[in-house]
Amino acid sequence: MDDLPLAKRLVDAVISDFPDHQPGTRPVHTIGIGVEGCFTASDVARNYCVAEHFGGEPVKVSVRFSNGSGSPKQHDGWSDVRGMATRFHLKDGAATDLIAMTLGEFFSRNVDDFFAFTAAARQTPVGRESPWRKILDMLQLVLPFPDPYPGQTQSGDAGTLGYANQHRFAQLGVFQAGSIGAPVSYVRATYHAVHTFVVTDPDGIRRNVRFSWQPVAGVRTYQRTDPLQPDQYLQQELRERLAQWPARFMLMMTIGEDGDAIDDPTLPWPAKRVRVVMGTLTLTKVADDQAAAAEHISFNPCRLTPGIEASGDPILHARRDAYEESRIRRGGIACPFSGGPSNAK
Amino acid sequence: MFKPADVQGNILRGYRKSRVRYLMLEVTDRAAARRWLAACTSGGGVPQITTEEPWITKPVTCFNIALTWEGLRALGASQRSLDTFPIEFRDGMAQRAVKLGDVGPSAPENWPAPFDQPKRIHLIATIYADEIAQLDGVQQQALAGNSGFNLLGRRDGFNFNDNYVHFGYHDNISQPKFAEIHDVESLPDAQPVAPLGTVLLGYQSNFEGLLFKVPEPEPLGLNGSFNAFRVLQQDVAGFEAYLTTAANDLLAHPKLDELLPPGAEAKIGQGLSRHAALREVVAASFCGRWRNGVPLALSPDTPHPSPEVDPTDFDFVGDSRCPYGAHIRRSNPRGGQIVQRVANHSRRLVRRGLPYGPAYYPEKPDSEERGLLGNFIGANLGAQFEAMSCDWLNLGLQDPRVTGSNDPLIGANDPATSWFDISLKSGATIRLRGLPRFVQTRGGAYTFLPSLAAIRYLGALTS
Amino acid sequence: MPSSPTSNLTDDRSWFDRFVDRLPQTGIMKFVAARILVPYWAWRYPVQKQPGGPPFSIQPGDNVQRMMNLVMPLKDKSAVGRAIAALAIAQNVDEIYAGLDNVGTVHFARFVIVDNNICMMSVYDGDFTNYIRDFIATIGSVFDAVVSLVEGGDDVIPSEHNIEKFIDWVHAHDMYQVPDLATGILRDQEALKGDTAQTGNDDLRLLPRDLILQLNVNTNVSLGSGYRAYPGYSAAQVRRQFGIGW
Repeated sequence: MDDLPLAKRLVDAVISDFPDHQPGTRPVHTIGIGVEGCFTASDVARNYCVAEHFGGEPVKVSVRFSNGSGSPKQHDGWSDVRGMATRFHLKDGAATDLIAMTLGEFFSRNVDDFFAFTAAARQTPVGRESPWRKILDMLQLVLPFPDPYPGQTQSGDAGTLGYANQHRFAQLGVFQAGSIGAPVSYVRATYHAVHTFVVTDPDGIRRNVRFSWQPVAGVRTYQRTDPLQPDQYLQQELRERLAQWPARFMLMMTIGEDGDAIDDPTLPWPAKRVRVVMGTLTLTKVADDQAAAAEHISFNPCRLTPGIEASGDPILHARRDAYEESRIRRGGIACPFSGGPSNAK
Repeated sequence: MFKPADVQGNILRGYRKSRVRYLMLEVTDRAAARRWLAACTSGGGVPQITTEEPWITKPVTCFNIALTWEGLRALGASQRSLDTFPIEFRDGMAQRAVKLGDVGPSAPENWPAPFDQPKRIHLIATIYADEIAQLDGVQQQALAGNSGFNLLGRRDGFNFNDNYVHFGYHDNISQPKFAEIHDVESLPDAQPVAPLGTVLLGYQSNFEGLLFKVPEPEPLGLNGSFNAFRVLQQDVAGFEAYLTTAANDLLAHPKLDELLPPGAEAKIGQGLSRHAALREVVAASFCGRWRNGVPLALSPDTPHPSPEVDPTDFDFVGDSRCPYGAHIRRSNPRGGQIVQRVANHSRRLVRRGLPYGPAYYPEKPDSEERGLLGNFIGANLGAQFEAMSCDWLNLGLQDPRVTGSNDPLIGANDPATSWFDISLKSGATIRLRGLPRFVQTRGGAYTFLPSLAAIRYLGALTS
Repeated sequence: MPSSPTSNLTDDRSWFDRFVDRLPQTGIMKFVAARILVPYWAWRYPVQKQPGGPPFSIQPGDNVQRMMNLVMPLKDKSAVGRAIAALAIAQNVDEIYAGLDNVGTVHFARFVIVDNNICMMSVYDGDFTNYIRDFIATIGSVFDAVVSLVEGGDDVIPSEHNIEKFIDWVHAHDMYQVPDLATGILRDQEALKGDTAQTGNDDLRLLPRDLILQLNVNTNVSLGSGYRAYPGYSAAQVRRQFGIGW
């Protein structure tokens, strides 16, 4: 793998944004919880994609919900992007992964942008803005800097804001991430896979698509103006919820048209694109062995299966080796990439 | 009141000259330009405007002019008058790029000179002749001395092969026929006679009861017309290559025998292989006519029907075998069923054009630029040319069976998503995919074709 | 007024901190913001009015199921005026339905009276001008009847003889569609100024102010392009798919 130096640099760059990162853990999305369930494709999914899990037979899944931060300190209530990584368990020990997050777009178009972004996102000390400064902001109709959370002494927000101010393609991601808040539950948020994939239908027709998980329970978020939630509330909430009843997500697949950004993860697609319901994910219980289900398991956005291919998105491609590098560093379990050379890009 | 002597001659009929030259001119001296305009209608030392008056003997050369909105402004038309012109004309073709599908390589940012500075194009003078020397002569006469104009660029067209265009189709078959005039040279057109307001301002249009605004003052607007002048580059190599690819795919298609029964290739051309016959079937399906001009609606199985057919006498009703997405059907659905029921026959255009660039020989491929210099004339750009371009040619809104696809010949196709359905006799279709964009726009302008009275009015302006 | 967050788990703010944090919610600050700050900043940084209707696009999904949100202020702003407007529609229901059927590209349309405005909200396919023009061709007389009740409407009727002017007038009364994505409004404002650069010297913290100033000139707006349950299909495609003829 001659990309390894790049992968190493990518992982190092990400870790550099979290000074208290602990070796042996994921560089981002460190805190997570593993959940079990099953996915059943809709009756039309097979018309768009020949992949095994869209064939209609229920498929076991392993899901890991996570907080975006790379710090080992868990603060579920702090405004943060959340992640949902899903592994579909296919026949004969094969598997395919779909990695999604609550932000609908990324900050960087390519690897160079990404290095610049992570450099800018280094944490800097934060304190409460002086009230006089806040009054001045109000007089200018400017959004004041949010007060830091209790115990929060550092933040990357100032750096990412500076980066976004200079780079228009990053503005949407930074703006939305800044106001994303904390979901009421891991299963009450919409997760986007962001990158474009290419699916092949039974007639051999290929389509550019993007996937999203839509929560059947609906989206509900705590805002920064709501009372702060306890540090571990999300994992507790999930255990209580799934003990009572299962949680469901709908897999929505949006079909891109010519002119849409295929290889640019900073640009979400308009809501006016054809949207296909590909199936329902039912989460039934929090996994008993969290060490295996939340720590050792290693997802990879390029772990695909025949019927699904990666687009030319440079960030998607870079993630393949970066995730492998991260897995090796923390001793995660290897899982073979299924399919043939088409998935080994 | 329609008077042939008041209307420029290139609107209601074609001159059937084999060469054309377009001169893109910029007004540099307003007073001199005005004198020039006055002179070209009154026998002065500049080329004279050819009118619609019937000829006794055909003139050696013909000469006409067209003005952009910037040109009217440069000539000193009053702001009040300029404001009475339609907004799309004021914007200019370059501003309407997305609406017309001029994106990517066709985008105005990529247009070569002089079209890269659209606001400087004020007047487009057109010379029609049969010999290059004659074109040169008229050009010299037009720009001699202090004409008041600066020549920004020119484009030459040449009917290199008896009305066949670069993609190999026989063009110029159907044109609207107008009730008020009798043009002895035109091919008889079997479509309903078009009201004069299809092309001329101030007359009843195709829409019942609707009258397009005649720009003011009346001498300026009445009997005028609007034109979308387009320089359309044709990728002949790409087109022929796609026909080959499509024929290869069709040879392997399960419905091949329904599309081309064994032996039917002989009806398409003597000695043609099945592959070559399929190429012609695809080419005919794209256009709606076989390459020799015979319409698919009349003769779906052979370009040589017996008895012969009138290539203009057909409609898209009943069991027409012309694909719904074919070029001539998209651009003029005639009486066929369309979603916008009121719009049948309402977006008709007068098309005048000549190919440019050398003929393409597949044995000796080259990278010369070639294509069509097209003029799409109507009384209202928004209601006719633009309406047809954005909803019918691209998007295909007029028929749900083609909605979401673009015109196969000239649409803004992207191979990743483009498609076209070929019709089979049973009503089933075979879908072709991966069509690239064969025609790129390399320039153009929205122009106003003034009447003779309007030219005199502009020539007489003082301010 | 963007409000400052409060953190009340461990509240170590001084009384002044707490006062300032609460300030945006107070009546006096709202008054100052609306009556003094907004006019001042609108004068300092004038913002152009954004055009109404959906933006031009080459993509099929963007060209079907487009929203028109037409707001037309009535001349007679009394209950009588509203009743006359209501009757003008009620008496022409047949014409309107026939017209909508024949235009063929309309999914949904409704007339709504809000305060003293008669509004038409519709979902249509294809180009806006074609839609209105085909409408004029079929139900021009109904348009004339309704528009004659609207401020400024007399200039554009009879619609059949003022096609271009009528279309422009309708376009001017169609609401600006604030982009779906939060930073889209910045791109729209840049586009009006002809600024298409990929990098800039912006200040994202000014986004709320940019929004406020835009809403100061575009007072009636559509928030986003709207939700669609089955995006990407024309009215005729839907009818054909259900086998009810098109």
